Amino acid sequence: MTALEIDPGSFRDPAGRVVHLGGRIYRTIAESAAGDYEFLSRRGVLDRLRDEGWIVPAEEVNAAILGDTGLAAHRVVEHPCLPFISYPYEWPFGALKAAALFHLDLHLRALDEGVTLSDASAYNVQFRAGRPVFIDLLSLRRYREGEFWLGHRQFCEQFLNPLLLRAYLGVPHNAWFRGNLEGIPTADLARLLPRWRVLSWRVLLHVVLPGRFQAQAAGRTDGGAGGVKRRQLPLPALRGMLKQLRSWIATLEPGDSTATVWGNYEETHTYAEPEEQAKRRMVAEFVAHAKPNLMWDLGCNTGAYSALALEAGAGTVVGFDFDQGALERAFARTSRGRLDFLPLFLDAANPSPDQGWNGTERMGFGRRATADALMALAFEHHLAIGRNIPMDQLVSWLIRLAPCGLIEFVQKSDPTVQRMLSLRDDIFPDYTEEVFAALLARQARIVRVDTVSAAGRRLYWYDRSR
Amino acid sequence: MRCIGTTLGLGSVIYLTSFSSAYAYLDPGTGSMLIQGVIGAIVGGWVAARLYWGKLRDFFASRSAKGLPKGNAADSRDPQ
Repeated sequence: MTALEIDPGSFRDPAGRVVHLGGRIYRTIAESAAGDYEFLSRRGVLDRLRDEGWIVPAEEVNAAILGDTGLAAHRVVEHPCLPFISYPYEWPFGALKAAALFHLDLHLRALDEGVTLSDASAYNVQFRAGRPVFIDLLSLRRYREGEFWLGHRQFCEQFLNPLLLRAYLGVPHNAWFRGNLEGIPTADLARLLPRWRVLSWRVLLHVVLPGRFQAQAAGRTDGGAGGVKRRQLPLPALRGMLKQLRSWIATLEPGDSTATVWGNYEETHTYAEPEEQAKRRMVAEFVAHAKPNLMWDLGCNTGAYSALALEAGAGTVVGFDFDQGALERAFARTSRGRLDFLPLFLDAANPSPDQGWNGTERMGFGRRATADALMALAFEHHLAIGRNIPMDQLVSWLIRLAPCGLIEFVQKSDPTVQRMLSLRDDIFPDYTEEVFAALLARQARIVRVDTVSAAGRRLYWYDRSR
Repeated sequence: MRCIGTTLGLGSVIYLTSFSSAYAYLDPGTGSMLIQGVIGAIVGGWVAARLYWGKLRDFFASRSAKGLPKGNAADSRDPQ
């Protein structure tokens, strides 16, 4: 039995904590939140929201199961484990938009039950089979007539502003959001937007005026709180705000809609049809043999091979790429097909780190989950040639990520590598298949090698577990 | 009309001075709260205006109905 671990990312809300024990996930409910939880439970709200697919299941268990945690656990529920926890700074635009619309829809649905959301943290939304799902039942609590939408600022900073950044300015949110885990500050976005955007009453209402009011209130001794507390937001106004934000966000699309380098990969890549068939065949055979519950697809592009891996028997595939255009298409694929495939933004040369409070609040890519297998198709040359990563470090990093996998080696003579070298010196004398194969063989068993293109691309199946 | 004005004024005072607890573990932000206060006031005013517009309409409708010769109003609703 593994040791009990309190999730380092669940400290903000005193209503409860997330606890990991023996590979299972529990949530403690403090006495202060018990009234709301019991209301939701007794009225059947939690069951209805679960059955309708809004929230993850939560089964009440004996609080003694956790032993002496030192936490004030009035009640304890158990959640099913999600295959992979992702963060909003890793989501492509389409995923963030889907999560934003989902959050607003959930809030409207909850209000039908006399329930509201106490916050609007994007980290409370995760993806399951291509659709968002809400993971924090303690954010749900009884609605009080006339109360403000307390999560409005958080919603703007974690959903709306990042979407506007991309839609209005053509700048992806990922790097900025990763640098500031609370999202894109409203005042900063307001300074960046062109003046004519302010003519929109929606921009005025949710971006410009809140920023101005906040700045003005900061200069007052009570921070403006006294005047605010005397006011109310009637329920029709709250519903109106949520619906109006919903209809606005539904129209947002990436502002940099021109094709990205890899966004049209499926139409422009250097494979002929029979070669692609060879590659697909080996992927399917590898996955059928490995039967991974969780699989990485590094350089997933639009997710064609991830979808193939799922068909071949993989449980969940998490795909990573740094091309925004390709990721949009990948998310559209998983959303349309309700696939257990999650495409995420990741620069492999600078993957998501451990960060936040105490350096542990948000886990880095390497620590968050252990995959059973990986695919790295047409990937290694982007690191070895494109980012100057030494081949020995690259091979070690890949093999550490999963006990078995498929790695495609792209020859230096390949047109793609030649294009990458066209404007720079060839400083890669060790970039050869012999060196790559020797490094791989030193750390794992090479199960099989197939040639999958006329240019000599080779697919290496490695296994370090046996 | 004086009655309507008094009610509206009183309603506004009650509306603007009633206390709504923040009840949050996170700072909702004064800027966001102030903008919601403005939205709330506009929606509150709009709801009140609709309510009193309805009352005003009913008032004049009943006055004009009283002015009509007996039976006409009923005839117009019930052509049988």
